[in-house]
Amino acid sequence: MNDAMAKTEKIIKTGKTLGADEVLAKTTFGRYRQTRFSNNQIDITVAWNSYITDVVLTWKKRLVATQIYDFQNVNNIVKRLFKLAQVSRENPKYGGIAQGNFQYSRPKVDKDLQELENPSEYVFEAIETARREVGAQANSGGTLFTKFEEIYLTSSEGPTGQDSRSAIKLSMRTFSQTEASGHAVECSPSLRDFSPSRAGEKAGKIAKLAMNPKTGAEGKYDIIFDPLFFGSLLGTWGSMASAYMVMINLSVFVDKLNQKIASKLVTLRDKPAEYSIERRNFDDEGFPTQENVFIDHGVLTTYLHNTSTAKNFDTETTGNAGIVQPTPWNIEMDAGDMNQSELFKQVKRGLYLTNTWYTRFQNYVTGDFSTLPRDGLFLIENGEIKQSLKDLRLSDNILRLLKQVKSASKERQHVHWWGYEDVTPALSPYVLATDIQMTKPT
Amino acid sequence: MLSYAQDKVADYIEVRAHNAKNEQLVIKNGTLDSFSLTENSGFCVRILAEGGLGFASSNRWTKDEGRKVVDAAYRFAKNSKRKESISFTEEKGAEAEWSVEEKKKIEDIPPEDKIEELMEVDESLAASKIKIPGRIIGCTIGLTNKYFVNSQGSVISSLVPKIAAFTFMTVVENGKPEQASKQFGRSGGWEAFDEWKMVDRLLHEATTLQTLIKKGKAVKPRKMDLVCGTEVTGIAAHESCGHPMEADRILGREMSQAGRSFIFPGSLFWLGSKIGSNLVTVVDDPTIKNSYGYYEYDDEGIRARKRYLYKEGVINEFLHNRETAAKLGMRSNGSSRANRYDREAIVRMANTFVEPGSFTEEEVFEDVKYGIYMKSFTEWNIDDRRFNQRYVGREAFLIEDGELKHPIARPVIETTTETWWSSVDAISKNLEFDAATCGKGDPMQGMPVYTGGPILRLRGVYVR
Repeated sequence: MNDAMAKTEKIIKTGKTLGADEVLAKTTFGRYRQTRFSNNQIDITVAWNSYITDVVLTWKKRLVATQIYDFQNVNNIVKRLFKLAQVSRENPKYGGIAQGNFQYSRPKVDKDLQELENPSEYVFEAIETARREVGAQANSGGTLFTKFEEIYLTSSEGPTGQDSRSAIKLSMRTFSQTEASGHAVECSPSLRDFSPSRAGEKAGKIAKLAMNPKTGAEGKYDIIFDPLFFGSLLGTWGSMASAYMVMINLSVFVDKLNQKIASKLVTLRDKPAEYSIERRNFDDEGFPTQENVFIDHGVLTTYLHNTSTAKNFDTETTGNAGIVQPTPWNIEMDAGDMNQSELFKQVKRGLYLTNTWYTRFQNYVTGDFSTLPRDGLFLIENGEIKQSLKDLRLSDNILRLLKQVKSASKERQHVHWWGYEDVTPALSPYVLATDIQMTKPT
Repeated sequence: MLSYAQDKVADYIEVRAHNAKNEQLVIKNGTLDSFSLTENSGFCVRILAEGGLGFASSNRWTKDEGRKVVDAAYRFAKNSKRKESISFTEEKGAEAEWSVEEKKKIEDIPPEDKIEELMEVDESLAASKIKIPGRIIGCTIGLTNKYFVNSQGSVISSLVPKIAAFTFMTVVENGKPEQASKQFGRSGGWEAFDEWKMVDRLLHEATTLQTLIKKGKAVKPRKMDLVCGTEVTGIAAHESCGHPMEADRILGREMSQAGRSFIFPGSLFWLGSKIGSNLVTVVDDPTIKNSYGYYEYDDEGIRARKRYLYKEGVINEFLHNRETAAKLGMRSNGSSRANRYDREAIVRMANTFVEPGSFTEEEVFEDVKYGIYMKSFTEWNIDDRRFNQRYVGREAFLIEDGELKHPIARPVIETTTETWWSSVDAISKNLEFDAATCGKGDPMQGMPVYTGGPILRLRGVYVR
């Protein structure tokens, strides 16, 4: 047993000796690097090394948690946590954590990523590729992020495991003019499958197409969503599938289990597979992760659970335990049956939206929302891109949007959005949805 | 670490250490869902060398780790290979110790009392006659100690207690749900709970949602006057003045993530350009005592001060850090903030608000023949240039001949920054603040801020 696992196990023993019912500890040694760039130059490279143990302790259905940053003081921290549990209040709905001894597959991780000290060459490659697409006026910015994590988890209820996780992510935006840009991402758990020039090429191509935009007209449109745009929405639906979000009414899926809520073309699954940047062998309770289809041909089949929420819903955990609440890992939409160009040919008059941001809700249960397309936004006529547009907002209903899906492409892309650390990555096709409301400022 | 780093050839070095004791409670529908406590501590170093910037951090407090962190930051700076060198403004070193007073010390309040305080709020909501099947009350309590030194001789330490509460409720009436979220925040001690009057304000929200379901009517889309409550004024000040005035956006450093600004070198809008009516002055002020965005020195060791962003309708002063100010030949105005030890400090707002005007509230309303009073908002968003924005009303009423009439269900204004601020023709004398968490950065750095202002009247804008 290595030192990290021994220290993690000691937390369990200390907690149990004090009288805790359950103790769970997860130590993460993380090595993260990020290079930020703008105006075709590197602004800063940032490194953060973290050595942190998450601890959950329960006593008579009182759940308390902490993060340990200082291993010198573990006994006192656990004692303080147990004291907190003793003065806390019972949660009658608390349903426990995973029990049992599980076998996990061997972690597959890219050691090259662990040793990658200076990823700036990847940044330069992406910038140069975008410049080749756009010309000398190309102006690119973005982030290149790498992570290498070693995880040690142990639980008083049986699970014990080690995992290693690696990822590299590039997010870049290229401007061809002040109001014309393209955004593309590239992400992979290993360097082998990572191609910065693929992102540079796509960002550059969209930026070039987006030149000389005109203000779009309000109205209902048939819309082709780029995987980057639709992947962002997949992340939203994935979060809403968490049983916790359902329980607190931050979800359009409240009271809709086993109902047809989407087009039959929509099958969504949470799949922390080997090829995902959120690959993992076990969840934060040590329960083996699995593939969960939560929308099957338009029917909502399950929520995503940890052990406790599963008990509340009279079902089994789906292996989605975060430290306190269930969380999606990697959302995938099943591929369609036509290629991208065939998809465009289906659109007589519509829009192609390449990216979005600022998705906000009036009401999470009904799903009334708006989101702001950014970067390339195009008018399609008779299957062809006719004009670059700007200043349009998608103002509709996110549940209705699922029902309006009419086609999806065979091609799919791994995408991730930036910003929140818990943004869920996705594997998304190009998607055609019809009759979607767009608005504009007056 | 600083002395080890100073053996290297660098233009600027800073070392920042944070120790943050945090507690977080979540009450879900009358049950304490979780109670967590964390003491996170760590340090970072940022080095400007050979025209490039490097940053590294760790939470392993050993001399050896400290030196590794310095070496990494220095190596990153030198590997930047920039064509155009980054430079920082020359600023005087500062020596200071500052803290925020707690009338009721957070550490003196036992955990069971904290639980009790929040439970009482939930129980009041549950006991009301309004059906509120979804109630979430979260509370974060933080005590952050920072220590900052740099190569210009600065030695600054601070101790800031901060309390925030986040609430989200779902009201159901006749089978229809409406929802509202509300945030409270303050720098200081447990006395925050006496000031917030959470029960009264949340019961008001619940009543508003119930009334909206029962009596809310759709608005007939047309041009009309829009009177904005202080909450709506505050979000507009934050989104369409504060953000576009961040100099890192203006210079493109956030071009890929947070976005750019409608203000940029060579654009129609620059310092001195007209952006609103003469009545409009929007400021950002970190020095408001006990505010949620309060600080005395920023995370680059610069003394904080009030900034006049839009002044009498004119673009007046950007928010700067050392880097952006140097690039534009100006001085930093102390706008650089980081929310953790392992995050680079970037240009941020503190407390952004519209300065009060000369109208009484009655005067603002009495001159409205037909319009909407949008007292609070629900959905909102704005494009990444901070020009095309939308706010949807939560509590809203029809105004006819200066009188408030029936509730209006979700009125929408979707307009441009220039139209919004140019349409303002009356500003009330009162000033109110709301706590908010501003999002920016990659990784995201949620930053405590106030948004706020008086009541505004916008003449002849399109509302649907």
